[in-house]
Amino acid sequence: MTTIRLENLVKRFGDFTALKTMDLEIRDGEFMALLGPSGCGKSTTMNMIAGMEEPSGGRILFDGRDMNGVPMGKRGVGFVFQNYAIFTHMTVRQNLAYGPKMRGMSRSEIDRRVKNIADFLQLTPMLDQKSAKLSVNILQRLAIGRSAIVEPAIFLLDEPLSNVDAAFRAVMRTELKHLQKQFKQTMVYVTHDQLEAMTMADRIAVMDHGVLQQVGTPLEVYNNPANIFVAKFIGSPGMNLIAGELAETDRGLAVDLGPWGLSPPLPDDLANAARAAGSRAVQYGFRPEEATLASEGQGLRARVTFVERIGARTIVHAESGQPVKIVTENDVGFAVGDAVTIVPAPGAVRLFDAASTAAIRGA
Amino acid sequence: MSATETIAATAAAAPRTLPPVDRESRRLGFRLTLPTQLLVLFIAVFPLLMQLYISLTDWSPLDGVGWWKAWQSWNNFANYTDLLEDRRWWGALWRTFIIMLVCVPAEFLLALGLATLFMDDFPGKQIFYSILLMPMMVVPAVAGYMFFMLFQSGGPLNGILSALSGMDIKIAWLSDPTLALVAVMVADIWQWTPLMFLILLAGLVGVPEDQLKAATLLGASWRQRFFTIMLPRIKTIMVIALAIRVIEIFKIFDTLYIMTGGGPGVATETISVYIYKVTTQDLIWGYVAAIALVILIALSVVAVFAMKRMEAARNGDAVARKGARA
Repeated sequence: MTTIRLENLVKRFGDFTALKTMDLEIRDGEFMALLGPSGCGKSTTMNMIAGMEEPSGGRILFDGRDMNGVPMGKRGVGFVFQNYAIFTHMTVRQNLAYGPKMRGMSRSEIDRRVKNIADFLQLTPMLDQKSAKLSVNILQRLAIGRSAIVEPAIFLLDEPLSNVDAAFRAVMRTELKHLQKQFKQTMVYVTHDQLEAMTMADRIAVMDHGVLQQVGTPLEVYNNPANIFVAKFIGSPGMNLIAGELAETDRGLAVDLGPWGLSPPLPDDLANAARAAGSRAVQYGFRPEEATLASEGQGLRARVTFVERIGARTIVHAESGQPVKIVTENDVGFAVGDAVTIVPAPGAVRLFDAASTAAIRGA
Repeated sequence: MSATETIAATAAAAPRTLPPVDRESRRLGFRLTLPTQLLVLFIAVFPLLMQLYISLTDWSPLDGVGWWKAWQSWNNFANYTDLLEDRRWWGALWRTFIIMLVCVPAEFLLALGLATLFMDDFPGKQIFYSILLMPMMVVPAVAGYMFFMLFQSGGPLNGILSALSGMDIKIAWLSDPTLALVAVMVADIWQWTPLMFLILLAGLVGVPEDQLKAATLLGASWRQRFFTIMLPRIKTIMVIALAIRVIEIFKIFDTLYIMTGGGPGVATETISVYIYKVTTQDLIWGYVAAIALVILIALSVVAVFAMKRMEAARNGDAVARKGARA
């Protein structure tokens, strides 16, 4: 029920700059994932939103109200810790009642809220159990319930699934997304796991080295990465990138990829954008899922180096100076050492400026 | 040599039958630890039995007979019945209790307050920390001498009081029965608050920071966090700290003996001082043995209580961990 605005947010720890500068608007009721490798500044950002750390510069606005100097207990922020930080010396009921009690609500009001939230999160059967004895999914629900019971305007979740095994994580992802839909609260979710971000978030803010790289819906970020970092970081495996130079041919603008040969001609809008950008050295990118393999014909020439079978699909590793990966059906007829021709699907090709790493985008 | 041979022989004879090997190695283990067991027996059990034996007699080193012949002066538990009627003993016990009832809570509250302050960072923390721990490292006899000097009627304490009040104050701290007891307590609190502080600080530092943050985010004030998160989490450690001090107060001797010698009269005579006097001045060792045994049993009860409390806390945690894994 609150819009969060980060304006020129900066955080330094001594000489180390954890967050170089950050401008981000998180809309009311939105599920925003802060995604990036460890050390990218995502947790720092979250801690500043919660008020656990003071920004070194810039502002944090909740619905236009400057939060600078507002203590963390007064910001109306619910925080779910990575380890859930459940008060293990208390029962489930005492954990849930903690917030309302500390805020001096009446006995009957506390009981009413505990009952509602326990029903909602299916915690009623274990209300009087010591919380130290609970399993992880119940702990997670309890952590969410304990924050939700005081009806915070904003929910912050700090990698809540990172200490859960893979199979269980899938269950918890669904459950969390489901809960967020019901709470309709603004949620900020910090994670280094792109699968979590892609499946749950309305929008993803990709960060690296204290800099916000791109903000967009999961598909925007996946389809149109803003730069080389996002292209490689999002997707599993990440986007294939081959260094090359723009070359005019009689069929239009293409990219000379050296040992790979000449790329198929670029689509008109991308070609125009590339001509307008002026730079000749580029990175030629395409998703491993958006290319086909052939034994001959027009395409990028390479040699198969490894065939990786992951179950539902097969990943073919090929090389021609630089490695690429192609995701194909399981009945792929290539073996290690075979010569292949890679044909990126029309419209799948992305270009990046080799010097600035920024994407060159068609109109 | 026989040990290795035995193992080799057993292993060769019955390589697959475990029980005989087991019994054999248990016997070997017993033989290997026998010297230590005898030593422990000699150190711990022998003096206790000797004490029990002597406590049932009127034996004294002045008799000129060895202690093993103490049965000659067997007195049918007279030492224990005498103890029940010994007013000086009951007085000493009572004073020890008073000291405990004042000092242990005072040390506990002071230490808890200080430990709480030390959870946050403040300028000069390291220096204050060192200063605070210093009293604990002073040899008790030296501490006794320090306070003996401080509390002299012409000493620095009266000097400061005189300067503050503008009057010539000459309080006879150590020769007034009540004030002497106060002085002794002050010395004990000065010397042993640091230990309590150290133990409680260790406990408080171990309180998970995330839980404190979570409580803050839920709107808990500092006071509320202290009483709902910090205190419940250091319960076991508090019990240990209190038990240590209760037991040690019963043994209070060096500082006190140098400051007052148990006086004036018997005004600061605690059980340790009383035992010391009976041992060295009255030389009725059979009686001393009886007193010492009674105290030992009483303190063991305190120790057992503290251990029970700890065990309960640990079992609680163990159950909790097991539950979390399941």
